[in-house]
Amino acid sequence: MTSTISGSAPPSTGADDRRLAEGCAAGDTKVFEEIYGRFGERMKRVAWNHLGNASDAEDAVQETFLKIHRSATTFTGEASFSTWAYRILVNTCYDALRRRRRRIEESNIDDITETAERTAPNVDDTKRIALRRMLDELPEQRRAVFTLFEIEGLSHAEIAEILGISEGNSKWILFATKKELQQKWKR
Amino acid sequence: MNSTCAHLDDLLFDASPLAMETAARHAEECGECAEKLAAWNDIGDTARSMKASWQSDLLWPRIERALKNEEKQRLSRSKWLWQIAAGFVLTVALGATVFYAVRTQTHDAAFDHDILRIAAMDEVERAERSHIEAIERLEKVAESRLDDAQTPLMVSYKEKLMLLDDAIDECQANIDQNRQNAHLRTQLLAMYTEKQQTLTDVLREDNDVSNP
Repeated sequence: MTSTISGSAPPSTGADDRRLAEGCAAGDTKVFEEIYGRFGERMKRVAWNHLGNASDAEDAVQETFLKIHRSATTFTGEASFSTWAYRILVNTCYDALRRRRRRIEESNIDDITETAERTAPNVDDTKRIALRRMLDELPEQRRAVFTLFEIEGLSHAEIAEILGISEGNSKWILFATKKELQQKWKR
Repeated sequence: MNSTCAHLDDLLFDASPLAMETAARHAEECGECAEKLAAWNDIGDTARSMKASWQSDLLWPRIERALKNEEKQRLSRSKWLWQIAAGFVLTVALGATVFYAVRTQTHDAAFDHDILRIAAMDEVERAERSHIEAIERLEKVAESRLDDAQTPLMVSYKEKLMLLDDAIDECQANIDQNRQNAHLRTQLLAMYTEKQQTLTDVLREDNDVSNP
């Protein structure tokens, strides 16, 4: 069964997904532009939540589009096109994190959090920075589940498809992660 | 639904609205669980406020440029691959043509060689036959004189001719088994020449005896 990532993008059908995949394989710029219009904003946010700064997030999104172009012929339609694209994005973020782990300094995070516009300005910046630091210390998979569920509002079914885990496991990882954060949060 | 502190984690794991409401009711009566629940909810609220968004007008043009470059490189790579493949096919075709031509030529040359060899052999045999016929005519002329051999020299010529005929028969039998043996043919020719010379000597001797 395929699930489509909910959000601002319109729901896609199997035929629509195939059209997108075929367009990407053929290198059709219009199709890529359509994908960017539909999923680009969320892709940027997901990348930002993994990498912690806008510049790295944009690099990851660009790399993701190139990977989609290269591997569009391997799209089988088992998952929806958006899920497949987010899976590539998350893996790209993992790779970028491994490469750039040492580059992400505290100062950078502070700089970026100042430049990024937030949708809920009533919550204290200190809390956000504290949570960001705690997330940075988490293993990749835990951080991914937490950010996709809590920040992006994806369901466990969607997260499971993106990360290639079971829905139950996604739920368990989220609980364990929040429990761990809860322990640190009190201090 | 009554809950205890031990159930708080189960309720948080469940995370359904009913479970969270139950947890909140328990927290009103339990300070420790209230603190835990507050931290839990605070983490969720903070996380939801971290939905960053920023203007990036240059991102799509950048991606578009990268995609076009990638496509250009892919086409260039595939063009190279086609060129290499075409070159390979051309080389194979050329090689096959050369091989076929050389083989045909070799085959023709071998065929021509065989034809020439057979023709040469026929010519040799024709020459041998006319030579032998000439010698046989000579032999017929000398035959009557040899039958009436009266001098020791004539008797000696007769014996020599008989030996030569035996040797010629043997040599001819060998040639019939190996038609192309040049050595045997030379040997046969030498024998015939010797026979011819002997017959000539017989006729000359007879002539000398008749006209002293």
